[in-house]
This record gives sequence, structure tokens and C-alpha cells, in this order.
Amino acid sequence: MKKVSLFFLVLVLAFSIIGCSGADKTDSKTSESGKKAAGGELQVAYNAQPPTLDPLLTTAVATRDITRHVFESLVTFNQNFEVEPMLAEKYEVSEDGKTITFELRKGIKFHNGKEMTVDDVVASMNRWIAVTTLGKSFFTKATFKASGNNAVILEMPERLTTALAMLADPGQAAVITPKEVVEGATEKGLAEFIGTGPYKFVEWKTDQYVHLEKFKEYQSLTTESSGLAGKKEAFLDDIYFQFVTDASTRLAGIQTGEYDVANAIPFDNAEQLEANEDVKNHVYHNGFNGVVFNKKARFFKDVKARQAVNAALDEEEILMAAFSNGNFYELEHGLMIKDQADWYSEVGKDQYNQRDSEKAKKLLKEAGYNGQEIVILASRDYEDHYNAAVVVQQQLQKLGMKVKLDVYDWPTLLQKRGDANAYDIFVTGFPTEPIPAKYEFLNSASEWPGWTNDPKMDDLLDKINKAASQEEAKEYFAQLQEEFYNYLPIIKFGNKTTITTTRSNIEGMGFLQGIILWNIEKK
Amino acid sequence: MKGYILKRLLSLIPVLMVVSVVVFLIIHMTPGDPASVILGPEASPREVAELREQLGLNLPLYQQFANWFIGIVQGDLGYSYFMSESVLEAFVSHLGPTFSLAVLAQVFAIILAIPLGVIAARRRGSVVDQSFMGLSLVGISVPSFLLGLFLILLFAVELKWLPVAGYKPLSNGVFLHLRYLVLPAIALGAMQAALIARMTRSSMLDILNANYIKTARSKGVKEKMIVYKHALRNAFIPILTVIGQTFGTLVAGAAVVETVFNIPGIGQLIVNSVERRDFAVIQGTIMLVAISYVMINLIIDLLYGVIDPRVRLSRK
Repeated sequence: MKKVSLFFLVLVLAFSIIGCSGADKTDSKTSESGKKAAGGELQVAYNAQPPTLDPLLTTAVATRDITRHVFESLVTFNQNFEVEPMLAEKYEVSEDGKTITFELRKGIKFHNGKEMTVDDVVASMNRWIAVTTLGKSFFTKATFKASGNNAVILEMPERLTTALAMLADPGQAAVITPKEVVEGATEKGLAEFIGTGPYKFVEWKTDQYVHLEKFKEYQSLTTESSGLAGKKEAFLDDIYFQFVTDASTRLAGIQTGEYDVANAIPFDNAEQLEANEDVKNHVYHNGFNGVVFNKKARFFKDVKARQAVNAALDEEEILMAAFSNGNFYELEHGLMIKDQADWYSEVGKDQYNQRDSEKAKKLLKEAGYNGQEIVILASRDYEDHYNAAVVVQQQLQKLGMKVKLDVYDWPTLLQKRGDANAYDIFVTGFPTEPIPAKYEFLNSASEWPGWTNDPKMDDLLDKINKAASQEEAKEYFAQLQEEFYNYLPIIKFGNKTTITTTRSNIEGMGFLQGIILWNIEKK
Repeated sequence: MKGYILKRLLSLIPVLMVVSVVVFLIIHMTPGDPASVILGPEASPREVAELREQLGLNLPLYQQFANWFIGIVQGDLGYSYFMSESVLEAFVSHLGPTFSLAVLAQVFAIILAIPLGVIAARRRGSVVDQSFMGLSLVGISVPSFLLGLFLILLFAVELKWLPVAGYKPLSNGVFLHLRYLVLPAIALGAMQAALIARMTRSSMLDILNANYIKTARSKGVKEKMIVYKHALRNAFIPILTVIGQTFGTLVAGAAVVETVFNIPGIGQLIVNSVERRDFAVIQGTIMLVAISYVMINLIIDLLYGVIDPRVRLSRK
């Protein structure tokens, strides 16, 4: 009898497994039609998990990309990295450059229904100064004060021409939250994620998803939408950032329609998706990769040794190995990209991508290379870093150097690169920064791994920050880029891209340092 | 019986002591720390050092271990740096998906493997036997992630029968829940099925040659009766051992399948925590997995008695 009941139990279980696929077809149909009726839900397969959703606390891109839909700042960047007002109605810089007055937009509502006041702005901005890298580096002696009921004033001890760009920077963005939320923040960050953006935060299930919902009372600007600036419309009711760390799963999911948007598609798979009519690839500029020299100890302490490597490298070969297709990279020497017309400079072009092994060998000799082992650190967590590192290793070996490649997972590399006695070079990526001062490798005071120590660059950075006008700042930046190519704290390989793939019914995707999901429609 | 269970539970203590020391040392000797992961790649060394201080990572190793160990004794497994919840809460919230997946994989494995093993044993040396055993060798050899990707390509991308990846909890409905788990359960269960099938076959072969089976046959007992009542039940103890061991592995070892299918279970929790160096979660979760493993084995040992009266522990 027992056996009979066991048999039936097994039978029922078996049928429930087999039967479920049939039953679920209807399930998925209803949910699909449900989606359409609801006016739109966007499933985004995102490649990394945010360490926190407090945008001030981290420089991690996952946090930046998600929270930009929830929070807004006084000013922001348009597609050309020009500063435009967002929560500020307008701003005015005093003649001596020490004071900036921000007049606030009226009637802006937070996601908790409260109206934004000067107190909220002052509290948020002072926290930004206290917590973020830029705040701590440039604004510790500056203060934000209320001026009447509708304006705040930033007072600085001296002129800081790049102040507005720093306040507009999407990384560790100077976001405005209610005063109570600022006061409730601990060293672990904000306890509530309440902003003014077109989407409000609903839920974060760690390791699964972040759910954002349309903020119905959002007051959009009416100016033309560009980059992070201008008009923002939330067409979709819900956005789910699904954390899908496995690239092949993102790839399969975008093909079946499980996801509407898949971020960071591997370069090797782009071609396969091109052939699929149901999806569209979006290739957008996203910073650059390069090698960072250890300038504190070991062989590359000597500038001649660094110049030898720079003379030798064939950047095209490196970029091709990293990105597998000429459409996904650009040979470019400049630290600021061409879109950043306020900064871009041709200086240093002749020092880039030289492929001159004779010159390199001569410089190596002058640097006194005697066969010591050169250690390169790279991580396979970023396949483009690793592939580039392999080619750099080969190119240096051709010069007769003894080169070892140490491959680690990313957190290990982050720690190893802090030990000056352990390595010579590490391969890493940099986002497109809005101002030169944000590139840590230009700045001696930051003590960022690689340990730049060049008084000339420090002086020029200072001059840029205090320049009387953008034109003057641009002039100093050209000199800085020249010094960069003399001193070589790092070697830039070239501009890189990121591929985001969407279903073909998704229209209006935007990109500026990551994906922008407002103004998106699901046709 | 009670004494036996108590003894087994007490024997957990030294096991957990060893696990705790080994896990703690391995994690803390691995380079990388949560502070630099939290702050991101562009953070300055000064900021990283400040956060390390706040998180208590600058204390001497023995002191960190003592703090952690005292916590455990008091039932506090620690707090996640990343998840804003205690390790126990994180473990419990990730247990559901893993448990569902493990049960489903095990059910799949048993349903497939035992009949295959029995058939192979009865037709020893035949083409059927050889092809089943060949198939089971493939099952053992093919890595689960490869099988997983193959299943995704076939059933999700090409045929579009099942979803590519993801997880829906039971509260969303049984069918939706199962729909997301079918492919990962097959990918995960294939190797277990192969192991169980091989064990069933060899165990059945031993029994089918036993004298009492021959006696039964000569008495004219029906073949079905012989196989399923007399032989299979007696052959079941080693099979149950394999099932028990593989179930333990399923609970702890689904990391790869969970990653490929994006299922937020214990395996993925461990992998993600290692990636972000969330020390408390790695340590706590491994301790809890070790406890689960030992408990599963205990349950299996107790089940022996249910199947085979000869190994029953209480004889009053």
C-alpha cells in the first residue's frame, strides 16, 4: 500500500514538472498582455550589483547608473558635457568667481510628497562636501547657505572655475534629498532613497533587482532633452534593474525578450546580435583603458623606462585584442574626448601610438634595464583589460624585456595595486571625466595607486581650477596634456565603448556615462 | 535513539570549530577587502583606509576572529556590509530558491535514475545496459554550466518554451515557480541522476544474484514482485546514501547553476559575497551550509532504519 502511495506521489510530482511548461505558456501570455495594458514595464539586465544605492558613498558605476533615475542635482551635464541647470532655475557666478548663486525651481516635489526647500538643498550639499572625493578635495572650506526662501549661495575662499562642472558630475553626484533624509544618514549611507527624479525607488532585493516606479508628480523641464539635462519623461510605469552577472545569460535573455535592455554585451557577441532583427545594438563611448605605472618603486620609477614603453606600444593591436572589432574603439590620444569641446586638445598626439621599437630599446638602455622581471597586474573580471594586458606583455617581450602577467579577481587586484613593492604595471579602465582634476593619476595629492608625483602637473591642475575663464582653463589643460605625455603617469590605449542591446521595440535610449532610461518608449 | 541523535549533534561542535577557523583564515588571507569594493575603483587610498577603520578591518586578525566567534556562540552570525541585514536573514532569504531548486533537481534525478538503474541491472551486458551506462558517464562528465547553457540555447532561445533565467518565488504561483526552475533543475540534477543510476545498477546486481532472490524465482514469484519488492528495497541503502550525499551537494554546490540561471540562492549568495568580499556573509553562510550538510546526513542515517529494520537504532 505504501508503495502504491509513493508511486502516486512520484507520478504527481512528475506531472507537475512536465505539466508546468504547458500551463506556463498561458501564464506568460497573460503576463505579457498584462504588461502592455499597464503601459510598460522595462526589464533591464544589468551586469553588476551596486554596493549601495547612496550615490554619494561610492564611485561604482552600478550605483551611478541606477540612482540617476531617482535623484537629481542642482546642475547637470548635457550630451557635450556642458553644465545646464536641473533643480536650479538658473545660476550666477560672481565676478571674482568665489560665489555662485543658485535660484531654485519652484514647486519641485520629492518622492515623499514634500516640496523641495532651500533647507533641503543646503543640507544635501553640505553632506556632499563632507562625504565625496570631490567635496573633500575642493570644497572643505566652502559653504552652502540659504539666501532668502528660494536661492542658495555657494561661497568659496577662492575662485574655482571648475566648481559647476564638479557639481554636475554624475559620479558621486551632488544629489538633493529631503533634509530629514540627510540627517538620518549614517556612515553606511542614506537610509531612505528619496529624490526628485522621474522614477522613485520602490524596492531593492539584493542579488536580484532594484525596482523603480514612475513618479507621477514629476515636473519635467521643457527644454530640449540632451544627455542628463533637459526634458525627462517617464513613459514606462516600472523599471526593473535585474542583476545578471553572467554575460551569456544577458545575451540569451535579450534574444528571447526576457529582458528589454541588456547592458555590457561582450564585444565578441555583437555581430551575432546584429543579425537578429528583434534586437538593436547601441555602441556608445565610455572612457578608456590603459596601463598605470608604479612610479613609487621598482623599474618604472624612472621616467625613461615609462617613455620606452610608450615608444614601443602598438595601440591598435592592443585595442583590437580587447574589443575584437574596429567599430568598438577609437585611436585617440586626448584625455578629454572630442565631444568635450571646452577641453579637447591635439597636444601630445605625436607621442601616442609610436610603435618605434628602436627608440624604445634605446630608452630602455638609458633607463638601465638589466633583465629584471616586470610584473603586470590584470583581472579577468574585465575581459578587455585582460586581453589588452596579454598583448602589452607580448609587445614588451619583443623588446627583450622579461614580463610576467599576474591575473587576479578584481577585488584582489584593487588591493595588490596598493602595494608599491609588488608590481610594475596594472591595467585598468577610466570613465570619461568631465574635468581634468577628476583623473586621479594627474594629481600627486590623491596618492592613487601608481603614485603620481609631478609638481608641474599639480601646478597646472591648480591653474586650471582657478582660471579666470574656460578659455584660460583650456589653455592650461593643453599644457597639462603636454606634461602628461612627458611624465607618463599612465599610457592611454585609446577610447573604448560599451555595447548596450535593446529589443527593437525600445525607442529613445540615451547614453551619457552609462544608460539613461527616461524618455524611453516601448512600442 | 535520542541518545544517538544527541551524540551526533554534539559531534557537530568540533566540526564547526574546524570549519570556522579554516573559513576565517582562508577569507582573511585572501587579498581584497570590502572597503575598496564599497568605495569603487576611483576612491583614494585615504578614503579606503578610513572605511577599513570604521568596518573594524584594521584590528589584529585574532581580535577579529575572537569578536566573530563570540558573536557566533551568542547566536549572532554578523552583519552584511552590503545587504543592510544580518547574515542569518540573508541566508534565510536565499534559502528558498536553493531549496526549491535542490528538491526539484533531486526529484528529477531520482525519477530518471532509479528506473534506468533497475532496467540496466536486469539486462546486464545488453545494448540497453551499455547505452544507459554510457549516458550516465556523459552525465557525470558534462559540467553543469555547459549543460545549462545548452538547455538555455535549445529550450529558451530556440524553442522559446521556457524562460532563459531568473526566479519567481512560490508566492507568484506554483506553475510560474516551476517554470523558472525546470531548466536549472535538469542542469543540476543530471550529474546526480548519473550517480544514482550507476549506484542503483551495481547495488541491484549484487542483490539480484543473492540466494533469496533465486529462491523466490524458483518458487515462481512474479518477476516484477522480485525486482521491486524483494530486490530494490534491499538494494536501497547504498542508493539512499548516494541520494543523501548528493542532496547535500545540491544545497551547497549549486553556485554555478545559480549563476548561469541567475537564481538568487545560497550558491549565488556565496559567489557574490566572495566577489564583494563581504566577509561576515561568506563566513556565516559557510557555517550554516556545513550545519545543513551534517543535518542532512543525520536524517539519511535515521532513514536507513525506516528502510531496513536490521539497522534500526532503538531496539526495545
